[in-house]
Amino acid sequence: MAADAGAQVTELTDEDHACLTFGEPEELADLTAAFIRDGLAGGLKVMWLSDASAAGAVVELARRGIDPAPALERGQLAAIACDGRLLAGQAFRARDAVAWLAAQLEASRRDGFPGLRVAVDMSWALRPVTGVQELPAFEEGIAAVLAGSTAAVLCQYDREKFDPVTLASVAGFHTRSVTAATYYADPLLRICRQYAPPGIRIAGELDYQAAEPLALALAETVRLGGDITVNMTALAFIDARCSLMVADAARTVAAASRRVRLRCLPEVAAGFARLGLGAVPGITMVTDDDH
Amino acid sequence: MTTDPGPSLPPRDPAAPAGAPLEQRFDGGSLYALRAAVSAHAAAAGLSNQRVYDVTAAVHEMAANAVLHGAGHGRLRMWTRDGFLHCQVSDAGPAGRDDSGAPPRAVPWPAEHGHGLWIVAQVTDKSSIDHGPAGTTVTARFALSPARRLARRSSAARRRTQSGRTTRYQHQCPRGRRRLLAWHAYGQFDARSRVSIPAIHRPAYGQRPEERSGTA
Repeated sequence: MAADAGAQVTELTDEDHACLTFGEPEELADLTAAFIRDGLAGGLKVMWLSDASAAGAVVELARRGIDPAPALERGQLAAIACDGRLLAGQAFRARDAVAWLAAQLEASRRDGFPGLRVAVDMSWALRPVTGVQELPAFEEGIAAVLAGSTAAVLCQYDREKFDPVTLASVAGFHTRSVTAATYYADPLLRICRQYAPPGIRIAGELDYQAAEPLALALAETVRLGGDITVNMTALAFIDARCSLMVADAARTVAAASRRVRLRCLPEVAAGFARLGLGAVPGITMVTDDDH
Repeated sequence: MTTDPGPSLPPRDPAAPAGAPLEQRFDGGSLYALRAAVSAHAAAAGLSNQRVYDVTAAVHEMAANAVLHGAGHGRLRMWTRDGFLHCQVSDAGPAGRDDSGAPPRAVPWPAEHGHGLWIVAQVTDKSSIDHGPAGTTVTARFALSPARRLARRSSAARRRTQSGRTTRYQHQCPRGRRRLLAWHAYGQFDARSRVSIPAIHRPAYGQRPEERSGTA
């Protein structure tokens, strides 16, 4: 089945074999965290395969307001390396990898979980691994395993590093194409939705010329409901007009007894403090970099 | 970086050195490059990260003011002298532009016209504006020494206390009057032009948007 265009990570469900393409680590971590969060909330078994250590995965989830410790302790969540599961050292065999996945699906059923979610960082395929040409066969095998199951797999490809031919060769085996909802993107600025924790993320340099997409992003964020985060940790500059727009949106949300977290550089935070946000109940400015 | 200042801008301020270390033209499409150049030069002048950001933000607002409400393009000069970093933005005035007095474009979230100039007034140590038939020149000064900056702040505060926040001048150009009205509303600018300024109000940033809509 060919992938449909532009699905949200929060829409994924049983049998979905989704292809997530990301442009930066922050975007990958955000979408992965949302995928994991929703799976844990649904009582599913969740596996996160990546090159990161388990401790790193825990820190990343905690940074996004998800406490993984209880799920790790009861075996609902596993943050594990690709090596030894999908790979055997520097060797990849599609048949073995698919068999491993099928075994995990069966194990999750035996353990009483109503379903399985697997997030797979495919960066291993960028390394010198023998058998990497079997990648399309692996993706095809996943699609076969997922048919009629209660499992979902999120394959994660760095769109800047994977060549278009490889991406095209695997795209057809996915049922969904997942990216972050993007309000604006050019080489200097990116405004997109953040999924975990909910809100928006602004990176680059923001001035009055992008006021229109910023207004749309803020309006949608306000409508999300619940607490929101405006992630500006990668925002190097924001001008007065856009600062005031963010400040007004934050005040609006805070006035509805919802909490607003503004994550930004200290220099940017000083500008928000100048607008009086430091004294508004419900609005928190976070400037520490806990990456 | 030095470029030909061109004939369509106000004459060089006598206080500005002939060969300023940074002299750069800008328009709406080159504000990013302008900010990058300003940041580099402010950092080279030895300012802290916060002050580099403040200088960049102030120059951006001055330049954006020229783009949106002035000639649509202008020129920046930066130099250091007498313990200050001087940033001077010039534009040739509002000739040929919309004179309706409306903000450039409405946006869904309330954006107070002129609040960028309020930011400029907040972060500069001393600023001045020179307005005439040839256009407008705004100069913002940033103390290179924190102790000196504090002294200048105290001095500026004393001057404001003695003279009050609004000053009456006389002026010939209605469009320029509107721009200067905004400048004088928010800052500590030394007016060398003669402008008539009615009573005005600062945006109430401590208030909620619906409360603020009732102010000027």
